[in-house]
Amino acid sequence: MRTERRSLILHALGVTVFTLVTPAPAQVNPLAPEKAFRFSARALDPHTVEARFIIADGYYLYRDKLHFAVEPAASGLVTPSLPKGKMKEDQFFGRMETYRGNLIVNLTLPGTTPGQKVVVQAESQGCADLGICYPPNIQRVTVPLPAAGSAPTPLDEAPRKQWFK
Amino acid sequence: MGTAALLALAGGVALAVWDQSPRDAAALLSLSLPDTSGQQQSLAQWRGKVVVVNFWATWCAPCREEMPEFVKIQRELGPKGLQFVGIAIDQAEKVEQFASELDLNYPALIGGYAVVELSKTLGNPLSALPFTVVISRKGTVARTQLGAFDPTKLRSTIDSLL
Repeated sequence: MRTERRSLILHALGVTVFTLVTPAPAQVNPLAPEKAFRFSARALDPHTVEARFIIADGYYLYRDKLHFAVEPAASGLVTPSLPKGKMKEDQFFGRMETYRGNLIVNLTLPGTTPGQKVVVQAESQGCADLGICYPPNIQRVTVPLPAAGSAPTPLDEAPRKQWFK
Repeated sequence: MGTAALLALAGGVALAVWDQSPRDAAALLSLSLPDTSGQQQSLAQWRGKVVVVNFWATWCAPCREEMPEFVKIQRELGPKGLQFVGIAIDQAEKVEQFASELDLNYPALIGGYAVVELSKTLGNPLSALPFTVVISRKGTVARTQLGAFDPTKLRSTIDSLL
């Protein structure tokens, strides 16, 4: 009798624990922005930095919300030409261009000195198909520029903590 | 034996309820934010009503899509003590334009990113939009929703609080 009672209690508790750890249905479970929109940058030559977003499946960035800046300001960043995005019809804003998948933007820096370091900043804003949008987000990476004539440096990925400041 | 099982189940239910223990919406209700005309509006003025706070922005398409439903519910249940309050993470002029297009029948307050940060403590760790908080007449958080609120669930939550 006692054992049976205990097993019943345990069973009931088991059900309870299961209920507690099961995520509430209908709540969406989106990726953290640093996983949805992975930002990185590398130098191609002393005056060119390649900025890259790897956008997770089901997520997109808005073209007109994408802005780059480079420090020091003396680097003289030339306003980059952003690739054409995919048109998305928006009933309030009209046609909006969005990016999915990989996005590569070359940043031209006529004012840099070979061998110096620059900080590349990307401000972006995106949404997920599951029906949420992220606030505009700023990410920064430090990119060492090569001395004249050397090979491109490996990709420098944005440190995670930058997303959570 | 049956009693024991019932007791255990009751304990389980109590635990489940405890897990979703009503959180105090005091921080949210103590906010004071400008409306689209620049007038400061304190959320405390709606204390005692069932308050639905919706964080949104005009640049957030999924936010805009669910707002016509909010307008409908506000029209229907406003007289019974329901108050929707929109907090737009946006510029006042864009909010005003969209509000007039939609014939918004509840306040659209303007908040900065610091305000959406507040929603982190209410179950929105990514500060994403839309995020909706249903607050009881007593000022406790009855339900939160990240992403579009299922209209049936929203209505039943509100009905149970009115």
